[in-house]
Amino acid sequence: MAANAGNKIRNAKLVLLGDVGTGKSSLVLRFVKGQFVEFQESTIGAAFFSQTLAVNDETVKFEIWDTAGQERYHSLAPMYYRGAAAAIVVYDITNAASFTRAKKWVQELQAQGNPNTIMALAGNKADMVEARQVPAEEAQTYAQENGLFFMETSAKTAINVNNVFHEIAKRLLQGQQAQDTPAGMVLNQRPAERMVSSSSCCS
Amino acid sequence: MGSNSPPPSRAALEPFATLDPAALAGLPPSSPLTVRSAAVSAQHLYIGTGGGKLLLFTLQSQPQSPPEFLRLLPIPLLSRPVRRLGSLRNVSAVAASDDRSSLALSVGKKLLLLHLTLNDADELEVQTREIAAVVDAVKALAWVGDSVFVATASGYSLFSTTNTAQGLIDIFTLPESTRPPRVKPLSGGDEIMLLVDNVGVVVGRSGHPIGSSFVFNTAPDCIAEVFPYVVVAGDSKVDVYRRRNGAHLQAIPFARAATGALIVASEDAGTGSDVIVVATAYKVFCYRKVSAVEQIKALLRTKSYGEAISLLKEFEDDGEISKDMISFVHAQLGFLLFFDLRFEDAVNHFLLSETMQPAEIFPFIMRDPNRWSDLVPRKHYWGLHAPPKPLEEVIDDGLVTLQQALFLKKAGVDTVVDEDFLSNPPSRADLLELAIRNIIRYLCASREKELSSAEMEGVDTLLMYLYRALDLVADMEKLASSQNSCVVEELESLLDDSGHLRTLAFLYGSKGMCSKSLGIWRILARNYSTGLWKNHASLSETDSLETSVGKMSGEEIAAIEASKILQASSDQDLVLEHLGWVADIDQELATAILTSETREKQLSPEMVVAAIDPEKVGIHQRYLQWLIEEQGCEEPHYHTSYALSLSKSAMDAVHSESNYGDKNNKEFDSDMQFIYLLREKLQLFLQASDLYDPEEVLDVISESELWLEKAILYRKMGQENIVLQILALKLEDSEAAEQYCAEIGRDDAYIQLLDLYLDPKNGKEPMFTAAVRLLHNHGESLDPLQVLERLSADMPLQLASNTILRMLRARVHHHRQGQIVHNLSRATNLDAKLTRLEERSRHVQLTDESICDSCRARLGTKLFVMYPDDSVVCYRCYRNQGDSASGRGRNFSNGAIFKQSWLVSR
Repeated sequence: MAANAGNKIRNAKLVLLGDVGTGKSSLVLRFVKGQFVEFQESTIGAAFFSQTLAVNDETVKFEIWDTAGQERYHSLAPMYYRGAAAAIVVYDITNAASFTRAKKWVQELQAQGNPNTIMALAGNKADMVEARQVPAEEAQTYAQENGLFFMETSAKTAINVNNVFHEIAKRLLQGQQAQDTPAGMVLNQRPAERMVSSSSCCS
Repeated sequence: MGSNSPPPSRAALEPFATLDPAALAGLPPSSPLTVRSAAVSAQHLYIGTGGGKLLLFTLQSQPQSPPEFLRLLPIPLLSRPVRRLGSLRNVSAVAASDDRSSLALSVGKKLLLLHLTLNDADELEVQTREIAAVVDAVKALAWVGDSVFVATASGYSLFSTTNTAQGLIDIFTLPESTRPPRVKPLSGGDEIMLLVDNVGVVVGRSGHPIGSSFVFNTAPDCIAEVFPYVVVAGDSKVDVYRRRNGAHLQAIPFARAATGALIVASEDAGTGSDVIVVATAYKVFCYRKVSAVEQIKALLRTKSYGEAISLLKEFEDDGEISKDMISFVHAQLGFLLFFDLRFEDAVNHFLLSETMQPAEIFPFIMRDPNRWSDLVPRKHYWGLHAPPKPLEEVIDDGLVTLQQALFLKKAGVDTVVDEDFLSNPPSRADLLELAIRNIIRYLCASREKELSSAEMEGVDTLLMYLYRALDLVADMEKLASSQNSCVVEELESLLDDSGHLRTLAFLYGSKGMCSKSLGIWRILARNYSTGLWKNHASLSETDSLETSVGKMSGEEIAAIEASKILQASSDQDLVLEHLGWVADIDQELATAILTSETREKQLSPEMVVAAIDPEKVGIHQRYLQWLIEEQGCEEPHYHTSYALSLSKSAMDAVHSESNYGDKNNKEFDSDMQFIYLLREKLQLFLQASDLYDPEEVLDVISESELWLEKAILYRKMGQENIVLQILALKLEDSEAAEQYCAEIGRDDAYIQLLDLYLDPKNGKEPMFTAAVRLLHNHGESLDPLQVLERLSADMPLQLASNTILRMLRARVHHHRQGQIVHNLSRATNLDAKLTRLEERSRHVQLTDESICDSCRARLGTKLFVMYPDDSVVCYRCYRNQGDSASGRGRNFSNGAIFKQSWLVSR
């Protein structure tokens, strides 16, 4: 998943999850190519992109999996979020049902996914405030309760799109440093394992 | 993905045969034949039928010809009888490992691994191992590397044969009511495609996803990979997708009537194969991969440049096209675009081609036959364009085509001419300029390449030719004046006729044709100065010069350029021929030419001096100065000439300064400064050089006020008294006069000086102060009597008394000092005498053994001599040896001997 220490470029698998039509592909298209298409076709299966992002003097190379929102392809999602360093759960602020679905995704990630995965909650279509159905405070509260970071985004106007990825990259690099310390404990466990195997070998 | 791509229009595959196996095998309609399976090898196509027949076809080596029916093969053609493996029943799926030694198969809800070996008795041994239990019936299996992919109605999972303890690992589950799962290894088993409805999810050997999903526009009946494509059959058509990104490239429908199971077969090798066979129940359709080159060629034929370029890029990315071919295609594209008058794009493609030779575009610039006609390679590329011809013709023909296209368009006929041109028709002049500018760009880039000298000549000459066509004077001159391979004969009359004389002069210069170049510069300088020539130098190139350095006239530029050539030239006649006009414009440049050290052979000073215009004193002087100071010339007459020249200049300067009294202070100051520097230079030279003739110089300056110079000259001539007169009386520089006396070093010099001070003659008052000063400084060393004799009666006593007193006191002091030294010496002398006496009165005892240190004879009662080093010799030896060498060979005249007791102890 995440890191090749020593090298300045860190690869990070990132997955976008969320209900159909919330704008996952549009967010990725905006981030990767700086483009926006009014009528983005529905994703089938999953689409793959990669994009690098410089944070201070380090570079994160995102391997982005843009999954299909259709319920029919839900069963494929675990393959994509398995081993992901980060996940962006996307809902549409003008669609309360999509927020409900987003919470389900968060639950699923918490239950099935990697506990170290950095999770972001993105309330997309922030440019359509007049049609808002999900109050920002509600999403913010939910995000805080569940340890996610939250941003309202707009792939159309590009608001917060880069910020979400940037924030993820920052947290990834911080998490990397934090993880470096407990790595020593793993080493301590190894001799025990070896002893078990060697005794079984002799018997 | 994929569904939003434009309708596929590529011809990645082309059908080349449709077979009716039954008819070909000569089977009567009464015995029906249904195709069940097919396989392709390098040369053969195998068709298996439902009736248990195997049909063999040969694939022709030349493309386009259909497979030829060879024969019907009997089914039991295997080398061994078919054997039933144990009690396996209801096997639902099977997959073989890469080395074919193991099989994975599913029986009911069990997954088994069979290991097959041939024992010594050539019998097959089978080891069976149950490896996992599955929930659903297994529909498909695939074994790649160490992984067995298992597809069931509920989803895909993976079993690792090296880590069996893990059991089955889920990859993903399938949605409800989906089509049967399908597993298709791709890229020789490095990746595996797992189907969900019409979606192909590509995963790696460990089950992790790789790349975007393929979205097929129908649920495929079967899938095959023919690099760089994925070919899918289903719904009565064959679809071609790009392997790299899943883009839908082509759809080939086939007869609706052809129903039944479809099979896509391709050579297993993956890459390199180019035959695809789609077998339906009664018909077999054969397709061939269209090569990258053919696909691009087809697009170029229809002038679909954009598509051709993106296709080229695609093949380049997929590694389907060689580097040379890429270069070839770029060149071909360039020529097509060129003939379509899209010059900028054309040259961009020319530049992308690494194999294109610059000579290929020469025919666009210069009509055949010409100097470089033989250089032009006869490349026709794909024969899609006319042979290159002069630009004007290309443009005229292109414009005619454009006109025709306009008419056709009005008549509603589609054309392949550039839309931009149709909506905004270009003018001939604009096109010509655009074409030339772009060819210039190409030629400039070509100059950086490694070319044969002939080709380099063509490139540079034609480049100049094109610059001239657009009157790009700055570029012409830059090319002409830098290192270039232009062929002068091709250009000289051309440049002369069009009045590009400066370029021509530069060109001659850079080619070492100095005389011709200088001739032009001389003409240019003359024309500029007479105003005949409208200053052609006000060009873009020199504009910057003019603003920064101030207005530089064309005349000066001509002189500068000429001087650059002349400075390097060793051709004396040429240098002296052109020296005059350059000197008329700028004496500095003329001086630089004469004193240049870059030429291989120096000019003869004699000829140079003779050639310098006598009016141009500055050049003459600076040349001589250089000759003497830099070149170390020791010819006395050049030293004399230089001294004379400097003297004359100094006199002229002094003279003219004194004549113009009505100058303001500032001018006066600068004049004085000038005179001062000039005289300083003269004085330094007169002092430093001993080679000039001082009398000759003196003749010139004798009437002038250049007294210091005269003093130096007289000094050279040894006329001490005149020197002192000048220093002491004319210049009243007593310090210098005393200094001179000190240099002479004799006491009488001071007396001479004193004489001059006390009796200056010519009615001048005696210079008592100076005299007193002299006495004060040097009185001790002068004879008081002589001094007193010379002191005149007129000298005021108060002035002299102090000094005379001092002088006399010094005398007495000197005398007493002498007495002391004398007495001290006497004391020493006495001491020495005493010591000598002591030395002489030494007692010496002689025995019978005493021998002479010299002749070794016994001394006995002989007369003997003892030396200060205690050696004793007989008298005879002493007479032979003398006083200065002792009996032990010590030479007292070389190394005196001292004994502690002899030293004066006081």
